[in-house]
Amino acid sequence: MSIEHPTRMEDFDLYALGALDDAERRAFESHVASCAECAEKVAEARGRVAILAFASPPVAPSPGVKETLMRQVIASAEGPGGSFAHAKPEPAVDGGIFARWWAGLLPVATAFALATVLLWLHNEQLNRQLADLRNTITQQKQELAETRHQADLIAERETMVVPLWSQKGTPESHAEGHARVLYNAKEGMMTYDGWLPSAPADKSYQLWLVPMNGAPISAGVFNPRNGEMSHMMMKLPAGVTAKEFAVSLEPVGGMPHPTGPMVLVGPIS
Amino acid sequence: MVTAEKRAELKATDASLIHRIVQRDESALAALYDRYAGMLSSVLNRILRDTQAAEEILQDIFYQLWRNAAQFDSSRGSLSGWLLVIARNRALSRLRRHNPASGDELSENTVVVASNLESSVAQQQLMSKVISALDNLPKEQRAAIELAYFEGLTHSEIAQRTGDPLGTVKTRLRSAVETLKRDLHS
Ligand SMILES: [Zn+2]
Repeated sequence: MSIEHPTRMEDFDLYALGALDDAERRAFESHVASCAECAEKVAEARGRVAILAFASPPVAPSPGVKETLMRQVIASAEGPGGSFAHAKPEPAVDGGIFARWWAGLLPVATAFALATVLLWLHNEQLNRQLADLRNTITQQKQELAETRHQADLIAERETMVVPLWSQKGTPESHAEGHARVLYNAKEGMMTYDGWLPSAPADKSYQLWLVPMNGAPISAGVFNPRNGEMSHMMMKLPAGVTAKEFAVSLEPVGGMPHPTGPMVLVGPIS
Repeated sequence: MVTAEKRAELKATDASLIHRIVQRDESALAALYDRYAGMLSSVLNRILRDTQAAEEILQDIFYQLWRNAAQFDSSRGSLSGWLLVIARNRALSRLRRHNPASGDELSENTVVVASNLESSVAQQQLMSKVISALDNLPKEQRAAIELAYFEGLTHSEIAQRTGDPLGTVKTRLRSAVETLKRDLHS
């Protein structure tokens, strides 16, 4: 076993990333296995590396996956069989042949009654689970219809993902603003997801597509509610090559051309 | 329409949902699925480029959570981090035709994630941060980190793939993780 702690912080990230070759990895692991301090650092490095997953383009699973999962879960839930098998028969009471016959029958009767109740309860439970499942599926279908369009757009190879950030020197109130635009020039489809503070009462935000040639094209006017994300999807003229996307603060209802300060800008690299 | 019940579910913490799963409450699993299936599906598809394989693994991970939730210790690590680590491990194993890691995945892989990813807003915010952090890396560093993360390649495998000297690859990856740590965690 090696006694030395790994000397550099990045060693933990490289390990969590799986980049170390066999010999290095084994040396690292043999130390960490017996060092609580380093094990904690590995847990943190795993977290830092794990979030790289967010660089993946969004792909929603088909609703069938959840449905199959929930069926599997409900099927695996403990049925009444388990409890029934554990029901102990009543001890027989001594007292002549009739008493013995009756005593023999009692546990059977009790067990039968118990089984009936359990089956009824189980049935109730299943009905409830089924109703829940149906609700979930209906709800999912609605959500799916809403997101399918966006998912289709994202899956397109030509779709670009453009992050928008607040400009240097913007007022403190807008410094936290950020957004993401998905844009498919071929289809002219665009979505906007973003967060900005509420606009002043006499203002609206306006989203612009700035083309390589020509004047900015308005892609929508919006007024986010306090603290909430804004989501928009719009159809623009197809075939426009974008240079950047931007959000400006305009008089309520928007303007034909940008007039106010740009609060978010996302250049296309 | 978002019902009051659904809204409560959206606010429940992962720890409380895990607790309800331990008590065999299926709706808690459904809520965790709604919370994290999209995030996992995205990375599974990116690694595997095979929707069916991605969905098999996705279902399997949540079923494992249903069966073994009691072994998950919310005080030690985060569920979202654990899900991401397991999803990547399983996908890479499938990609490289290794057997999935044996052993007890739930208690062995403690993952500490600095950000709380329980809301979709938080996930979206992190997504834009990660995308722009990667965009800011020099091209070769970004390529190296993507080969390591999404294809599971080690230093020498990356060197073999790109034809660059091993030392160069090591330096690139080291700088990349250093920069990402600074951009995403400070
Ligand atoms: Zn140590």
